[in-house]
Amino acid sequence: MHWIALQWSLEAATPTTPAGPDAHRAADAAALPTPEALGWWALQYTPHVAWQDEALMLEVSACERLWGGRTQLMRQLLAYNPVPDARMLGAQGATSLIALARLRLFAREERRPTEIPAGLPLDTLTAAHGHLDLLARLGCRTWGDVAALPRGGLTRRFGAELRVALDAAWGLRPESHAWLTLPDVFEQKLELPALAETGPELMWSGNRLLSALQIWLRARQRGARALELQWTLDLKRFNGVNLPPHQQVTVRTAEPTQDMAHLRRLLSEKLAVTTLAAPVSWLKLRTLETDPWAGASTSFLPEDNRKGDKLHEMVERLSVRLGAQQVVVPSAQADHRPERKQAWRPALQKEKSLDNASKAPEKARKESQAAASQPDALYPPWLLPEPLLLEMDGERPCYRGPLSRLIGPQRVETGWWGGKEEGGQPAMRDYYVAQSPEAGLVWIFRERHSARFSAGEVRWYLQGFYA
Amino acid sequence: MGLPFLDSFSATAGRGVWHADELGLADAQVVATGHAALDAELPGGGWPVGAMTELLQAAPEAHVWQLLLPALAQAVQARGGPVVLIGPPYEPCGASLAARGLPVESLMCVKSEAAAARLWACEQALRCADVAAVVAWLPQARVGELRRLQLAAAQHELLLFVCRPESVALSASPARLRISASRCGADASQIELHILKRRGPPLAAPVMLPARNERMAALLAAARLRRKLRLQQQGTVAAGDAASSARSATVVRIDAWKGGQDALDRLAVVA
Repeated sequence: MHWIALQWSLEAATPTTPAGPDAHRAADAAALPTPEALGWWALQYTPHVAWQDEALMLEVSACERLWGGRTQLMRQLLAYNPVPDARMLGAQGATSLIALARLRLFAREERRPTEIPAGLPLDTLTAAHGHLDLLARLGCRTWGDVAALPRGGLTRRFGAELRVALDAAWGLRPESHAWLTLPDVFEQKLELPALAETGPELMWSGNRLLSALQIWLRARQRGARALELQWTLDLKRFNGVNLPPHQQVTVRTAEPTQDMAHLRRLLSEKLAVTTLAAPVSWLKLRTLETDPWAGASTSFLPEDNRKGDKLHEMVERLSVRLGAQQVVVPSAQADHRPERKQAWRPALQKEKSLDNASKAPEKARKESQAAASQPDALYPPWLLPEPLLLEMDGERPCYRGPLSRLIGPQRVETGWWGGKEEGGQPAMRDYYVAQSPEAGLVWIFRERHSARFSAGEVRWYLQGFYA
Repeated sequence: MGLPFLDSFSATAGRGVWHADELGLADAQVVATGHAALDAELPGGGWPVGAMTELLQAAPEAHVWQLLLPALAQAVQARGGPVVLIGPPYEPCGASLAARGLPVESLMCVKSEAAAARLWACEQALRCADVAAVVAWLPQARVGELRRLQLAAAQHELLLFVCRPESVALSASPARLRISASRCGADASQIELHILKRRGPPLAAPVMLPARNERMAALLAAARLRRKLRLQQQGTVAAGDAASSARSATVVRIDAWKGGQDALDRLAVVA
């Protein structure tokens, strides 16, 4: 058996301040990822990982050859610290209690005794904590002093616990631990350090959960695609309104990711626009969808490795702040009415026909060959989303001055099926290119008489600008 | 003995010195504008990549596509990503742009009225590695904000065009290239480009570019000819005048387009 004990401490906690060591420990615990998550990280080195008091214990006798020996393994552990801004302390020992005691000595910056385990000071043994004064008066300062006391008397006076711990420390008794395992689904709860009243206040604790999620994703070799952050409301009624016990936001991303910076931005954007119904006490994060993680492949050529975000990250970031309807991409539609020739859909939505994607490059090439000879080049580059009804100056339509028709008519008759949104009437139009004295070339159309059943005046509409 | 240090310094630095009376060389990549007359007047012979280009116009929609489309199409072909339009004044017509080389799929619009949101979206788009070019309409941007965009464009080596109203022509700007475009007063089919700022001497005469694409110009010429012939048949135009216009319009061959039998091809006949 060989044990490694690990402990994390923030640099800020090392100088002693009047607040006392307990306050530091609480602050440490609040800033680190959750203990389970640190355990998940250690599971990549050995399957035997357990928390004992304040330290993470790793039993490595079966796997140390895989990592190239104990020294190499320690070096690896220290090199791949999961919390880069905290200092990681490590100590080894033949049993878990020895490793833990040496870790405590190391943290207090005391020298290790020559004789181990008999020379270890008593206050490094958790089981002896309750009896330190009495044992000191008996003249016992080290583990060896206590172990030398008669068994029967020691058990009767101090309970079986101390003797059992000493036996375990000498390796005379088997140790039993609650080994950590990696759950199938990430779901963690966290109590907030103080009640939160606005969305952004949740972000600090949310960050802890996200760093735990990152460790879980790495251990499971998966990438997150959808997350749900749920918070527990502290009040059941507020301002005379019954409140639900929970509220939540969901964050989705197009590509599975292990990069928490992107998810953090999405989450903070969502929380910035969320109003909490009541103060919040607990936070829970769980994964809704994860995909196997393939990793990112990079190229050796420098021009292929352009720095910057990925496209989907930019689209998601813009959509989550500005609204999904504000970030749009066009797709061509089979319709002759210019305002329906293209449909704008939110860039977040995937194209419905995914199988077309494989044919797309060939299609695009064919299109580009035909592009030069396409009559579409005569359409105006700018369209109005809705045709604008033009004012009339007698017989002539006006748009920033009377229009003179230059080219036309181009006749479009379509929409005879008369869907509800078109008002049940077919579109029968004559298109002209006209010159406006101020706006340059514009594209206008006249609604044909036969299309309109009432014999009213002729209506002219503006459809686009050549500019 | 002279000063060898200074000599060698001036020898190596001499290549990098730009004399202000000659056109500067581009220190980065450029993308050809697609208009030879304009290329000749720009440092390096094209739109600078990784620097802001300012386009000042009276109307926000005017001449944008005619000026930028060839370069945008090239950028999309080279980099594959979308062209991000931030705050376009109207909807771009995909069919028309696709016919001139910019595929419909490579457009992305960010519709936002707020000036701050536009600036933010612009910066985010510049930070994205997959975007081919950014065209932003920023009528209210201040110098400091433009400077920030200019730095982002330089850092990520993107084409950035900022369209602003003509009224800011006299104010300072961090853009490396500033162009004011307006319709030529004498000939409506030409755009007058005044290069307000470039690395080179001030431009004496404005650069003239055609305001319409070739097909449109041909169609307009054909329509004009038709009208004249019709008037001539009615006896209102002198015969010599019509003959000269017929000679000048020999370039118009509507039938030469083999693209497809669309109604538009027969427009001139109707007109």
